[in-house]
Amino acid sequence: MSGNKILTEATVKHLEEIAENIFRMHLYEPHIAQTSHAGQFVNIQIAQGTTIFWRRPFSIHSTNPESGIFEILFNAVGRGTQVLKKIKNGAKLNLVGPLGNTFNHAPHLEEIIIVAGGLGIAPFKLLLQDLRKQQLKKTVFFGVSSTANLCCLDEFSRLGAKCRVSTEDGSKGYHGFVTDDLQNYLQELPDSSHRELLVCGPTPMLRKVQEIAQTLQINAQVSVENIMACGFGACMGCPVQLAHPHDDGKRYLLACKDGPVFNMDEILLDD
Amino acid sequence: MTDLSVKIGSLVLKNPVMVASGTFGYAEEFKDFFDLNQIGGIITKTVTLEPRPGNAPPRIAETASGMLNSIGLPNVGVEHFIIEKMPFLQPLSTKIIVNVAGKTGEDFVEAVVRLEDVDRIDAYELNYSCPNVKEGGLTFSANAAIAEQVTRNVRKVTNRPLIAKLTPNVTSISEIGKAVENGGADAVSAINTLVGMAVDLGKKRPKLSTITGGLSGPAIKPVALAKVFELVQNLSIPVIAIGGIMNATDALEFLLTGAVAIQVGTANFINPRAPLDILEGVRDYFDKNRIDGISSFIGSIKT
Repeated sequence: MSGNKILTEATVKHLEEIAENIFRMHLYEPHIAQTSHAGQFVNIQIAQGTTIFWRRPFSIHSTNPESGIFEILFNAVGRGTQVLKKIKNGAKLNLVGPLGNTFNHAPHLEEIIIVAGGLGIAPFKLLLQDLRKQQLKKTVFFGVSSTANLCCLDEFSRLGAKCRVSTEDGSKGYHGFVTDDLQNYLQELPDSSHRELLVCGPTPMLRKVQEIAQTLQINAQVSVENIMACGFGACMGCPVQLAHPHDDGKRYLLACKDGPVFNMDEILLDD
Repeated sequence: MTDLSVKIGSLVLKNPVMVASGTFGYAEEFKDFFDLNQIGGIITKTVTLEPRPGNAPPRIAETASGMLNSIGLPNVGVEHFIIEKMPFLQPLSTKIIVNVAGKTGEDFVEAVVRLEDVDRIDAYELNYSCPNVKEGGLTFSANAAIAEQVTRNVRKVTNRPLIAKLTPNVTSISEIGKAVENGGADAVSAINTLVGMAVDLGKKRPKLSTITGGLSGPAIKPVALAKVFELVQNLSIPVIAIGGIMNATDALEFLLTGAVAIQVGTANFINPRAPLDILEGVRDYFDKNRIDGISSFIGSIKT
């Protein structure tokens, strides 16, 4: 059960660059740290200026309920994250959270298979924390363009996951797309039942995973990225199209409120 | 403490701070953030006779000091609105104003007729001005004769107060304002969003699926002040101000300009407690400046 969403201020405790241009920020806010689950996000006000008007959504990367600290992960590429990477320890960040739904895998699985592309790795540390006490196999397929973009592997191993890395330039692990490595892995299994895919990453990767999951009839959940303003269902600016509406018309869910986690066969993936 | 209550026709608000349609959902979305009963009124997301799915993504784009939207009035339709959304609103002690839109004039009338049986609706806001709906929207508030006729037809089927929400995307907003006044509106609210466009240089296409959308936020506040001032000068019915109100200072500026009440809109996305913060700021201002009554302040701008 997740806690109520609140409007609050979190204190920046630590900021580190853990891979090329990828930052991990530790924030102190006990309600978020104690009530959030994997898949949920916070919507952070970065500036009150003319150019960064909206808040920015960030997956909750991990939580420590005892210390009241939670982490976010970001790639400093946009206007908001460029500001965020320069924020000093002790600064207060106004945020709304925890927002959105959570990954929710079926009971009695043999294996959870995480498929992440780039910063799509963000929600899965918390997922592995949530699953720490569950006796099931946890495998992480992590695809990046090059070794410089890799992060989190030690922590994931400590949380009991087996990590398989793919790099597009072949600098580490499987040389090629993570989805090809995934496909090889799944095809070699004698039986793909009792397994579930949990997926987050760029749209072309999601499309490929969707295809693989459909072919092999494996259930897959995806956390979608979407631009959003409010983050809690008021602006209705983050529609996700339903794949099988009950009539011929177009039907939409909201990424912020109905998601960000969806069953992969339930939605159409956007550009 | 200054009495902040204001009158809009027969509608009495305990204070002038309301929330704008389309920025506050059906209020339940905000219940975790503040006590909804504190504010003067809640204007619902637009309700139409039939359900609408809304526009394809992308529906929103961030712009300088504001945003563009082209949401397309997604809603469950009046029947489901009554069953699914009203039960949360009915026990509240703030005023509930249902925003209604239609593809045709008859749609407005039919939707209001259906809502007439429903308890605890304190007024209707007629959305004549959504710029993002293909089938019309704008036609109702861009044409004085049509706006007057639709208002008159709705007036015939309800005694509840009617607020006509006007667009700034016209040559003369006060001409439309006078027309809805003649048609029997109890008040006007202005402004709805300004038509705007944003371009994604990288993708070489517009940022919105509908190419253009409605601009809102602090970027439009000066336009809103000018239009509100024009309406106050030219109409006999009250004017409710909307447009880039982010804080108490903004709200007070509109009251000073002559608006009897204000609606907080896009600010709700940035600060979900904005309506309460604004109300508290307005109250502080009146207390600190020992202003006896809000009515002596409203419209007291020196020109």
